[in-house]
Amino acid sequence: MKPAERIVPFYFGPPDKRLFGCCHEPLERHRKCAVVVCQPIGHEYINSHRALRQLASRLSYAGFPVLRFDYCGCGDSAGDGKEARVSQWLEDISEAISEVRRRTGAFQVCLIGLRVGAALAMMSAAELSNPDSLVLWDPVVNGKSYLEGLLRLQKEMLRFRPKPSSAQQPLDYVDVLGFPLSRFLQAELKNIRPPAIGGTLVKNVLVIQTDRTADEASLQKHAGPLGSCFEYRHLDAPQIWLPTADGSLVVPSQVLESIVSWTSWVHA
Amino acid sequence: MREEAVLFGEVRSLVGIVTDPAVRDGGLRRPGVILLNPGIVHRVAPGRVYVRMARALAAMGFVVLRFDFSGIGDSPVRHDNLPFERSAARETQEAMHFLQATRRVERFILLGGCSGARVSLRTAYCDPRVVGAFLINLEISEDDDQGTEQIGRTAAFYYWNFALFDLKSWGKVLTGKADYRKIFRALGFQARRRFPYARKMAPEFIQLSANLRMLADRGVCVTFLYAQSDPRLNDLNEALSRELRELRELAKVRVEIIPRSDHTFSSLHDQDKLLRKTCELIEGIASSTSCGTIAQERDWLPHPCEILPQGDGN
Repeated sequence: MKPAERIVPFYFGPPDKRLFGCCHEPLERHRKCAVVVCQPIGHEYINSHRALRQLASRLSYAGFPVLRFDYCGCGDSAGDGKEARVSQWLEDISEAISEVRRRTGAFQVCLIGLRVGAALAMMSAAELSNPDSLVLWDPVVNGKSYLEGLLRLQKEMLRFRPKPSSAQQPLDYVDVLGFPLSRFLQAELKNIRPPAIGGTLVKNVLVIQTDRTADEASLQKHAGPLGSCFEYRHLDAPQIWLPTADGSLVVPSQVLESIVSWTSWVHA
Repeated sequence: MREEAVLFGEVRSLVGIVTDPAVRDGGLRRPGVILLNPGIVHRVAPGRVYVRMARALAAMGFVVLRFDFSGIGDSPVRHDNLPFERSAARETQEAMHFLQATRRVERFILLGGCSGARVSLRTAYCDPRVVGAFLINLEISEDDDQGTEQIGRTAAFYYWNFALFDLKSWGKVLTGKADYRKIFRALGFQARRRFPYARKMAPEFIQLSANLRMLADRGVCVTFLYAQSDPRLNDLNEALSRELRELRELAKVRVEIIPRSDHTFSSLHDQDKLLRKTCELIEGIASSTSCGTIAQERDWLPHPCEILPQGDGN
């Protein structure tokens, strides 16, 4: 069976902060718009990697060149997780957009983000990158609740595990399921309040919500002012970023399908 | 230290990262280290621990490759019908071919967590270039415990090995704050699995024991590394206690335990302990196999790993 895409792993960006990227290049049909995927962080990045990789493949089959990449201090990219910074991640998104434009020749860019990745995509859209469209999948719109959720999860995960002694607990960062959150990063994340997209030049925004507990009103306020170009979809799908009891990685087909069909329609 | 993204394999479809040391140790003496997917998690591993491991080992002078098997992480699925246990061993051999061709590494240490440990072992059985198999939380039996059973198993192991000796836990039991139903269920689970378990798995354990002896004869260093709170450690002790004792006396099999850690080394403190122990043990394997030749090279030509009797790899 002939593959419909070519997968190209590579490093890009400045020599002291090299970022890992994986480009999905369609072999046949090429659309004018390239897609950049902004991943979540920490354990959410690990848990959602499989789904985002499949999303990239599906978009590529639909004719979009897609770049998935890891932020500084995350995944395969350079840097230590303890040094991770939101400001650096925003620069990384700009770098990724320039890279995908350079590699594919596409001028239009669609940013797709999940969880913190979606919040970063919104912030990037407002401040730096001016994408043509945005897909926000369960975006974090309240950094404080997001952090509280992480700490609750960490506590829950320790239930059937030997507890670390207080001497083992570091002072300068918090351990969340094996990923360090430095005090500085915590403060940055706590202040995440993505800007209203209405003030930017983004024409098309899709918000996908699978988390029933999310603050829908706040989300509408941030992403809603675009009128007919804004679409909100609530889908009954699993929250793929959460750990599962048996360690499986979930791929929510209906969400991926929804994103691909919307992106294909917007960039027809 | 330098990291390079690579594509390799039969149809150049396997995605990996090679971490090269800043300076090679004058050539070819050090074995290369290949890190194999822990279950279905991609080559970064839970807690990004494979990235830290690769960088630490590269700083010690090892060339390290971590990659994704077909259908896991960034590598696309295969288009043949090869079952995972065979394709994974074959792809590990392809990883060795790749490092041989591009980095002139001749000998290898295979490191894998969970199902990656099974693949390490399977590949070591059939490829003489493997001088060390580093098995983290190896699941030695076909495990039919899934979902809720798995949770019961973990809870039982926790109560039995940790809560039983913890004053706080006893305090909860005595003051009515404990979840009694969960405790009884977990103890029931423990009791149920004791009796039929040993009988059912015996042939597989016999096979494993024979294979370990074969590796010891070949001079391959086999290291079992377990998190103390991983129930699989019990399985190993139940299955191979006598054989392990004998094999350890041959000084080619080691069993190491990371105290108070869990299966995925889910705290940073545990990861640090894992990292330190791994670097120390891999340095030991490299030193003990530093003659640079493969003792049975003549009799052990590489061949596809299709004849192996072990079970499922994922």
